[in-house]
Amino acid sequence: MPHKWAMVVDLDRCTGCEACVVACHAENNIPTVGEDQAARGRAMHWIRVERYWEGDFPNPRVRFQPVLCQQCDDAPCEPVCPTYASYHTSEGLNQQAYNRCIGTRFCANACPYNVRVFNFFDPKWDKPLHLQLNPDVSLRSVGIMEKCNFCAQRIKSAEIQAEAETREMKDGEFTTACAQSCASEALVFGDLNDPQSKVSRLASSNRSTKLLGELGTKPNVTYLQRGT
Amino acid sequence: MQRTAEQIEKDLLRPIFRSSPRYWIAVGISSSLVLAGVYAFGYQLYNGIGVWGINSPVFWALDITNFVFWIGISHAGTLISAILRLCNATWRRPVTRCAEAITVFSIIIGGLVPLCHIGRPWLAYWMIPYPNQRCIWPNFRSPLAWDFFAISTYLTGSTTFLYLPTIPDFAAIRDASKGLRKRIYSMLALGWQGTPRQWQRLEIAMHIMAIAIVPVAVSVHTIVSWDFSMTLVPMWHSSIFGPYFVIGAIFSGIAALILAMALLRRFLHLEEYLKPVHFNNLGKLLLTMSLLWFYFTFAERLTTWYGNTPAEMTVFWETINQHFAPMFWIMVLCNFVIPLPLLAIKKLRTIIGTAIASGAIVVGMWIERFLIIVPSLDHKFLSYSQGSYRPTWVEDTLMAASFGMMALLYLLFAKFVPMISIWEMKVGLQPHGGGIVTTEVPGAKRHGLVLEGPLPTDVEE
Amino acid sequence: MKVLYGLYSDPETAQVAVNALNEAASELKFDPRQIVIVSGEPHEGYEFADSHLTSLPYRWAVLGGAIGALSGFLLTTLSQRAYPIVTGGMPITPPWTNGIIIYELTMLGAILMTLIVLLCGARLPNFKGVITDPEIWMGKILVGVIDPPKDSPSELEKCLLEAGATEVKQLNSTSR
Repeated sequence: MPHKWAMVVDLDRCTGCEACVVACHAENNIPTVGEDQAARGRAMHWIRVERYWEGDFPNPRVRFQPVLCQQCDDAPCEPVCPTYASYHTSEGLNQQAYNRCIGTRFCANACPYNVRVFNFFDPKWDKPLHLQLNPDVSLRSVGIMEKCNFCAQRIKSAEIQAEAETREMKDGEFTTACAQSCASEALVFGDLNDPQSKVSRLASSNRSTKLLGELGTKPNVTYLQRGT
Repeated sequence: MQRTAEQIEKDLLRPIFRSSPRYWIAVGISSSLVLAGVYAFGYQLYNGIGVWGINSPVFWALDITNFVFWIGISHAGTLISAILRLCNATWRRPVTRCAEAITVFSIIIGGLVPLCHIGRPWLAYWMIPYPNQRCIWPNFRSPLAWDFFAISTYLTGSTTFLYLPTIPDFAAIRDASKGLRKRIYSMLALGWQGTPRQWQRLEIAMHIMAIAIVPVAVSVHTIVSWDFSMTLVPMWHSSIFGPYFVIGAIFSGIAALILAMALLRRFLHLEEYLKPVHFNNLGKLLLTMSLLWFYFTFAERLTTWYGNTPAEMTVFWETINQHFAPMFWIMVLCNFVIPLPLLAIKKLRTIIGTAIASGAIVVGMWIERFLIIVPSLDHKFLSYSQGSYRPTWVEDTLMAASFGMMALLYLLFAKFVPMISIWEMKVGLQPHGGGIVTTEVPGAKRHGLVLEGPLPTDVEE
Repeated sequence: MKVLYGLYSDPETAQVAVNALNEAASELKFDPRQIVIVSGEPHEGYEFADSHLTSLPYRWAVLGGAIGALSGFLLTTLSQRAYPIVTGGMPITPPWTNGIIIYELTMLGAILMTLIVLLCGARLPNFKGVITDPEIWMGKILVGVIDPPKDSPSELEKCLLEAGATEVKQLNSTSR
């Protein structure tokens, strides 16, 4: 049975700590762009925690919403890429082939969630931080679009391991960097095609919604609405 | 005043052989703008496209505005040359070549913009489906792939459409020059003589080209508009974009043509050829386009406002009464309020009146393209990730360079090619204007040819 | 090649000259196909100008369009089937989007075929040498004979003058 990778985000559990953002940067060799560039709207976060304020003093409330690539089944970013850099894998992932990207930025315009980030300059890591780079993930150069790919390197490495040991993959055997770092277990990653997986059970909850589901993109990230 | 063939020949060949100092100053200024643009592009290649003002989520801004603007301007030649040729409107004769020249050069500039705006311009050739062993291949489902094919076809067609009727004029220059100039023009004229067979074949080829180029032009700007409407972005995902853009393109194209004609008339002393009647007729066409533009804009805004969906209304109010409101209302002023009286009132529809209206329209249409792109990208669905945009000096320089390049190409064209089609003007002199012959000479038969209408000199001025 | 020709100030006299030359062809011993007519603008409605009317280029243009359409279809459909990549849940060979590419290549095919047919039909580029006279650009029409028979040049000249030539000239070698 082919895998269908999905994620569940429990908005009741998210504390807004942004450990997921940091972990994602570390795992996927995402550069920090600097204060100046971030102020111009060019921060490169594959996952970001959105903050929405509700109500006024003395009872303001904050809603946190981690937004990452929704790995849409009918992704609007895929057909618009002129060089097939953005395409759909058989395991339900929306992949980005960095080598093919010529930087037209059409996919980023087409994405309703604004989850695609662009390398406006050549990324730099100040020494000695270049020693911290993950050897499993390729470095991107200027003019290339990138985004969350559910830590495809971890998926691949687990698949190879399972095949080498001639066994099926187990739920929870590996997970994405963001889900791994989440202290409150708000992010859960797994195989939707496995009915026993945590992701499948959580996704069928009566709190489950899809972000901008009415657009018909069929996202694979399920958001569990806040109870309160 | 009826001119003779000899006079036409002398008047229209004069700029080829002589230029005033003003001409060289104009060439100098436009060349410097182009060089500034080359420097800015080099700076961008070296440092990365971050030297522009684009960001997340406004990934397209001035670059695509200019792209759509220049491709829009290119519809000048198509309408005038092809449609008026097919309708047998004889007043088009002096206007066709300067219109076709605008078309070819603005397609070239518009085609260069996408090459410069992508993140890795040195890989732009991957849009071409060429056999390779790396599995690089264009995605034919992408509107950008459609753009590539459409613009290539349009460029090929327009260049052919421009070049074919210049062949006899190159032959005229060849016969009037000596030395190196003669050799160059001999090559350009392909050894044209002017035998009846050649004339017949040329006219048939022009007729086929006129029929073929109109659907191509309509498809090109429709496909450019589909770069936007094929996405889910609020106020982009609209089926009106195809016709809206085509009308807007013809609108800005005619305006650019009137401006070019006014300048040519003044500086090349073509007062006898580009007469008030031409500006009057083009002014009437421009008026129609202005009304059509208003109709499409109104229809699009009314449907958005009436539908009242949250995402679209955010963008809507941004342009009507918030951040982009000044630009929006200037656009309405330039595209509709100023041109309407100048073009509708016959007394005001003079050369100066149409030129002022055209200048306003060119500015207004540029603003329209900007307002289609940036407010929508600024405000997509998730309000947290909305943004803003401000251009940098690199983008401004590249934009100025595009105007400089247009001016430079046009100036060079005026130097090397007669701006008014000499042989077509001579056909206009013929007593039957190229139509039915009534004469007793044996062999001169009555053919069922359509009488092409009154000559320009007969039309009231 | 040598050309003996007369210059005529309007198409009527040119037609008279062509008729006269045709009649005199057998007498003066040259082939009617050696008659050459050159003008600086097209003259429709006269037999000498309209003898080459044809509708073939239109059919060639349609053929060119058909070739373009076929190549567009093969380009899109075959390459998409060879490397089927899923994008956005769309079918691998969507007819609507492939149709746009096919349409553009159809028009390109028609345009290129028209250009080729023109170049072939008008015998361009012409490497054999150009028969021309500066007067044709001032509205005159050149009617003459290529490689006139050597034994009767003065009779040919008389024939041309009688038809109403403003002047008769001889071109001894054609320029390129």
